Amino acid sequence: MKKKGLLLLTVAILIGSIFAGACAPKPAPPAPPIIIGAPLSTAYVYGWAAHRGMVLAIEEINAKGGVSIGGVMRPFKLEVIDTRDLEPGVPVAEALLAMEKLILEKKADVILGGPLRSEAALAAQDLLTKYKKVSILSAGVLSPAYHAKIAREYDKYKYAFRITSEVIWLSKEATDIFESLRKDYGFDRTFIMVQDVAHARAIGKIMEDGLTKKGFKVLGHEVYPTGAIDYSIGLAKAKAGGAQMLFIWMDHPETGILAKQWYDMKVEALPISGICSAIEQPGAWAGTEGKVNYWFASPCNAGNAPSTATEWTMKFYDAYKARWLIEPEAYGVSSSYMAVYVLADAITRAGSLEADALIAALEKTDMMGIYGRIRFDPKSHQIIPSYDPKEGAVGTWFQWQDGKRVVVWPPTIAMGTIKLPPCLKPVK
Amino acid sequence: MLENVLIYGLINGMVLALLAIGFALTFGISGIANFAHGALYILTGYTVWVFLHTLGTPYLLAIFLAMAITALIGAAIYNVILLRIRGMRSSEIIATFALALAILEAFRFFGFVGAKYTLPTFVEGSVSVAGVIVDYQRLILIGVGAGLVGLLWFFTHYTKTGLAFRAIAQVERTALTLGIDSDRMATLSLAFGAALAALAAIVLLPLGQITVETGLNVLLNALAICILGGLGSVTGIVAASLLLGYAQIITVTYIAPHWLMVVTLVAIFVVLLVKPSGLFGKQKELEERV
Repeated sequence: MKKKGLLLLTVAILIGSIFAGACAPKPAPPAPPIIIGAPLSTAYVYGWAAHRGMVLAIEEINAKGGVSIGGVMRPFKLEVIDTRDLEPGVPVAEALLAMEKLILEKKADVILGGPLRSEAALAAQDLLTKYKKVSILSAGVLSPAYHAKIAREYDKYKYAFRITSEVIWLSKEATDIFESLRKDYGFDRTFIMVQDVAHARAIGKIMEDGLTKKGFKVLGHEVYPTGAIDYSIGLAKAKAGGAQMLFIWMDHPETGILAKQWYDMKVEALPISGICSAIEQPGAWAGTEGKVNYWFASPCNAGNAPSTATEWTMKFYDAYKARWLIEPEAYGVSSSYMAVYVLADAITRAGSLEADALIAALEKTDMMGIYGRIRFDPKSHQIIPSYDPKEGAVGTWFQWQDGKRVVVWPPTIAMGTIKLPPCLKPVK
Repeated sequence: MLENVLIYGLINGMVLALLAIGFALTFGISGIANFAHGALYILTGYTVWVFLHTLGTPYLLAIFLAMAITALIGAAIYNVILLRIRGMRSSEIIATFALALAILEAFRFFGFVGAKYTLPTFVEGSVSVAGVIVDYQRLILIGVGAGLVGLLWFFTHYTKTGLAFRAIAQVERTALTLGIDSDRMATLSLAFGAALAALAAIVLLPLGQITVETGLNVLLNALAICILGGLGSVTGIVAASLLLGYAQIITVTYIAPHWLMVVTLVAIFVVLLVKPSGLFGKQKELEERV
């Protein structure tokens, strides 16, 4: 009897627990994530580095619970599609298809990152309009046509923002470096070598016109097709003309060949390269066996090379290094990381993912970031640049000095001074 | 500037010859267009890099090991993939191109991207030749290119295997009646072609970086040279390489570098229009005459 009673009691407890469980209030379903769609050319350093920057920011934000929308904390979720737009010969349509897939299939709430090739991003602006998707461009695309288009037809293209620099500002920085070298060393003869892509052609033209107006002697201006593997004739022309400075702007990996040829041909000119993926990367020193010494490069925004532009700069730099076991590699890292934080801030203030509310919030963005004060021009949605990190987004130009990427420009954030190759003697 | 054109034109021509010669040799003997040629070139580069930097192998040993591995892969391509579709031209191209994509994308997938992937030069430094400064690596590549052409000529004229190669290339059925094993020769031709791609990689990659994209560029250059020179003709390959090499350098010097790609395309267009079998090509030459 005792056994039977015990069995009945056990069964009763079990049934009771099941009913109690069924009747208990269910835990609230997890808040749906905010989907960030990132169209990136992931095979190229600007693509994979931007991706890593975003992942780091998203992990940090999600670790703190996510982003508050109307009092509900929602995590970020990143969806990346390879646009392949930086690869030679890949048509713009590939990038547009990738972007459309992010919007329609992956249900992206916001687009961050790319497309990275100017030609593709300009075409993609119409897709943003079509689907009313807010985008923050954070890597690649340096063409001034991007923000000019927004300023020209604001109502149509208001969905697009750019949180990184563009060639007009970058050419001002480069010209100021040239002026500084003329003032300090008397150099005024230059030779321009750029890649045959929109942003490089644009800055090549701007630099040629600008430097000529300022009294510099531009000895030549050569445009190389993407994938060119020999630069000997251009370098020979620069050498024969007595160039003291080279202005180089190329984003293809073959720039490594140019660096090696510059060294091997003993060209007595200081190579001032701006956007140059092969030179920007920390691996460039080993990859060229140190032949990249004295080369300049601009990874565009502070934070992509070590400096103390703001309190956040080195914190980001170290966090990136700890997460990916490599220093921030090139242009697009700090800006893509920052884009996620700017988006989080705007969503919180807007309290919504609705496009118009988000646009209004982004236009009112005013925060101190990795590369200075982040604000957008309300008409063109272009980030406001400055040499002073307290006033705007500050750029960064470093020089390879004995295996280290030493930031030498602008002076407000410089970590060292410009050095000349031993073969190049000052004129004054 | 004329000295620069002469010297760098020769270098450019030799670079193109090195890129194309393996592809042409394989096609000339076995009739197989190995579209994995560029991928094998890149595979060699990464293999040497891994031997050097991950396993700490001495450079010379790493080079020989990488060449041997690539040659074995070339032989395996024939025996594992192509044997079953031999003679079906479209299928051969699709299969080898798919293999190329698989090899290249595998490197990308496993993170072989970035500026650090390069090979050291054989000899560091440069020298002035007729007032033009040229680095030793480029001088070496001229020597390797010229030596290779000589060796190939000797090999195909004075060795048993080389003569068998030529016999198969001329009339396969007659060669079979003489006891020459067609499949064995095709295997060897793929292995030789792969080894030549490896040799080109070892000599040329120290000039720049090892990148996945280079694989397809190598294939395109090899195809362009083979179309110009005539598929299967070593003389044609050398002549077309020098012609195109000089044409490119002259364009860069006296017109503008951004016309560089156009030169190649115009050359292909003209040759296909005037002599579709290529400058020295024997394939389809009879059909053209008829």
